[in-house]
Amino acid sequence: MSLWNRLVNLVRADRLRKDIDREMSFHIEERVDDLVASGVSEAEARREAIRRFGEPLRHRERTVDVDVLVWLETLAGDVRQAMRALRNSPAFSLVAILSFALGIGANTAIFSLIDAVLLESLPVERPDELVRITRGSQSAVVTNPIWEELRDRQDVFSGVFAYADTRFDLAEGGEAHKVAGNWVSGGYFSTLGVRPALGRLLSVEDDVRGCPAIAVLSHGHWRTDYGADPAVIGRSVPMNGHAYTVVGVADPRFTGVTVGRAAEVFAPLCAWEVHQKGVLDLRSAWYLLLMGRPANRTTLEQVRARLEALSPQIYAATIPPDYGVEEQRRYLNSVQLAAERAPNGNSSLRRQYSVPLFAMMAMVALVLLIACVNVANLLLARAAVRRRELAIRLAMGAGRFRLVRQLLTESVLLAFMGAAIGVVFAQWGSRLLVGMLSSGSVPVELDLSINVRVLGFTMLVATVTGMLFGLAPAWSSSRLAPHHVMKTASRGIAEGHSRFNAGKALVAAQVALSLVLVIGAGLLLGSFRKLATLDPGFDAEGVLLVNVILPDASVPPERRSGVYRMLLERFRVLPGARSASASNLTPIAGVTWNNIVDVEGYAPTSREDALVYFNEVSDGYLRTLNTALVAGRDFDSRDVPGSQRVALINQTMARRYFGGTNPVGREFRVNFIGDAYEPPMRVIGVVQDAKYESLREATLPTAYLSMSQNPRPGAYATYQLLAAGSSESLIRGVKEAVAELDPRITLEFGTLDAQVASSLTRERVLALLSSFFGGLALLLAVIGLHGTLAYSVARRRKEIGVRLALGAAPSRVLSMVLGEAGVMVMAGLAAGLVFALASARLIRSFLFGLSPTDPRTIVLSGALLVLVAFAAAAIPAWRAAHTDALLPLREE
Amino acid sequence: MATRRTDVLQGTLDLLVLKTLVVRGSLHGYAITGHIHQVSADLVRVEEGSLYPALHRMAQAGWIRGEWGITEKNRQARFYSITALGRKQLAQEEASWARLTEGVGRVLRHA
Repeated sequence: MSLWNRLVNLVRADRLRKDIDREMSFHIEERVDDLVASGVSEAEARREAIRRFGEPLRHRERTVDVDVLVWLETLAGDVRQAMRALRNSPAFSLVAILSFALGIGANTAIFSLIDAVLLESLPVERPDELVRITRGSQSAVVTNPIWEELRDRQDVFSGVFAYADTRFDLAEGGEAHKVAGNWVSGGYFSTLGVRPALGRLLSVEDDVRGCPAIAVLSHGHWRTDYGADPAVIGRSVPMNGHAYTVVGVADPRFTGVTVGRAAEVFAPLCAWEVHQKGVLDLRSAWYLLLMGRPANRTTLEQVRARLEALSPQIYAATIPPDYGVEEQRRYLNSVQLAAERAPNGNSSLRRQYSVPLFAMMAMVALVLLIACVNVANLLLARAAVRRRELAIRLAMGAGRFRLVRQLLTESVLLAFMGAAIGVVFAQWGSRLLVGMLSSGSVPVELDLSINVRVLGFTMLVATVTGMLFGLAPAWSSSRLAPHHVMKTASRGIAEGHSRFNAGKALVAAQVALSLVLVIGAGLLLGSFRKLATLDPGFDAEGVLLVNVILPDASVPPERRSGVYRMLLERFRVLPGARSASASNLTPIAGVTWNNIVDVEGYAPTSREDALVYFNEVSDGYLRTLNTALVAGRDFDSRDVPGSQRVALINQTMARRYFGGTNPVGREFRVNFIGDAYEPPMRVIGVVQDAKYESLREATLPTAYLSMSQNPRPGAYATYQLLAAGSSESLIRGVKEAVAELDPRITLEFGTLDAQVASSLTRERVLALLSSFFGGLALLLAVIGLHGTLAYSVARRRKEIGVRLALGAAPSRVLSMVLGEAGVMVMAGLAAGLVFALASARLIRSFLFGLSPTDPRTIVLSGALLVLVAFAAAAIPAWRAAHTDALLPLREE
Repeated sequence: MATRRTDVLQGTLDLLVLKTLVVRGSLHGYAITGHIHQVSADLVRVEEGSLYPALHRMAQAGWIRGEWGITEKNRQARFYSITALGRKQLAQEEASWARLTEGVGRVLRHA
């Protein structure tokens, strides 16, 4: 039948049905006439006519079945009937719907995150055309000279732009008010095709060296910070200590091309020079990301070929003159431009979370599977109860297919009701999750509104779910032989157990799946615990971090050293500070500074072998962070510019480069840039090993240089203050002390504790979620086990009663039921163990200090399951043991 | 049942209906059953209930066309007539029926 006919039939459903009715009644009238003519009484004739016709209703049903209108018509009927059936067993319906709400909700929540982070295209014009310019396998960032060369030489893009994620400080001195923003090149908005909501956006003419400082606001920023005041155009706003003029507001949906990070302010790249003279000419500062829109009819391959051809020229034009031989070779490798499609922009979130998101997706899929099995089990049990009803319907001539469809309608309906609630759970859950991810300095912002893709996913999951758990029970129910059921439904003492094998297998499957999830949760939780409790070599508790930025306007570079010193002295005398220090970097901030060193008498096996990680610290840094000085002395007043350059090294560095000998008093040289090494640094002390960039790392060889020996420090430094009491009063004290010295100095506060915790966000979220889902799985499995046992005991009440009456000890009955549970659980555990071991390598990359087959975790998980299963089995077992022995007699 | 009657095989009904319409022109459902009984000397009996689904299906397939009309007794009935497509279908079904009976006959003779 053609689709067209089907559609026409749908439209004329009612007419068609009437037509058929009319035809049939005509037929019957004609038959009656003929029979009456042959001498039969009218009443007899009518009976005979109808008898010959068969069951008109059934026939009409079959006739209509030929058409598709059935589908809508009987569907409505099926749904009505299903609703009635569900209302008749509210407890079952509630448990089923809730199971699905949780299962489908969890799936939708994770999928909407995957959708937002990985799938959603940028809200710009024709996002599918956009490409990202990359450097092969290396990080895609380039220097501004590379960008300018590319911009001026390329001929394959209709538009191309560079941008850098940054945070603009909107406060005028004092505590910083930072918002996410972008430095953007002139072609940014025009290439993306973003339109202004107000005023104008930046253009290529705005981005020329020596440009005035202007800015475009995001719609959200304009609304929250300016109350959507149109008079904002032309207004001057302070950004990083300089006045910027607002020229426009961007389209409401546009928040930059970095997914997960909503930019609030956009400033032209050229304006950077206002803050830092010469920054755009730095040939070794890599911070710009490039994107472009290929010109009409230019394929990605052509773009790649052109970029490849341009790379050598760009390389020659931008190589830093002070680079040494090795650095030049590496630079050549760095400038190998390529391109890839980027309809959904860039995202560090994507890099960091795409694998965990898929791991979570697998987890929630397992949970849903368990929920399915659970409901399938409930349905099986219920189908057994409904056997009589179904048998009667079969006997009365209902088609088997029709019956299966009816039962399937019920299960799909359950799934959809669960899905409806699940979507609400999902909205709530995904927001909660994003909140958990947002522990860093810039909040994670994602568009989590329900879109067509997410809704489609949920519908699909609900349908598949409904079919999955509904089909088997429906099929087995429809295969009943009516007379058999009628005969055996109510009588019988020893019920056959065979029918319940399916139910037992399902419980075992649940136990198996739960074990996998519980082991996974145990491993992730164990890893997180190991990370959170490992000794990082410093003590983060109570350490306040104060980032200080000295604006050039108030503190010229030559005065920085003195100002840093003065600030440190003022902080040290604050009443709430037990100790204070300053440094260039802080641990576990994800920032590194490394260089090649040369130690006399040590021949490095590779470049990596000669790589040492650095920090520049003041005296007292070790004391504030409680990192032990193992040998030698700390920095002190002797270490000044011009005196012998000194350094502290950690134990790993001492071991690697100085072997077993005492390194104090020995020297090493650093190759900061080019082929020449700096004058030698003398080791004055050895300090305890401490984590540098991340808690996961194997301890890196680290050298601490003296801040007071640096004659020209940068404009940024971080102070560490060990708080004696509350951090609030300490922060107040710091603000006052700084304002007294110079109110234009910018401050930013944080704690080392939070910084370390934020480095474990991914691990924490994974541990939390997997525990939650593991718990959920366990709960569902327990419900399944308990339900199955309780049902089986209820069915066997008579049998058990007879056994007791014949003298079986209650303890025998108890152990019989527990044994039944034991078989299911053990089978499940065995299957689950195999499954867990098989999928072990999937989880390996998320673990720390634990093997995916960690025996302790596996044994504990199994023990937990056994314990919980025992508790679930104990109630029905106890009930069985206390069955009234006279019950069967009384009922007979 | 008293008399020995052959229930129409599934699929054969189409053949009978199409043949009837070719011979008799436009007929309503009741007349079609009557014709088949008569011509087959009451040996073949159409299950009346299954006739209408079949008619409907054949109309959907475009083999026959149904139109409402008035009978001699002034009753409304749907009159079916064969289409060109239906004639082609009939030719095919007749050929396959011939093959089937031939085949079955051989088996019965030689088995």
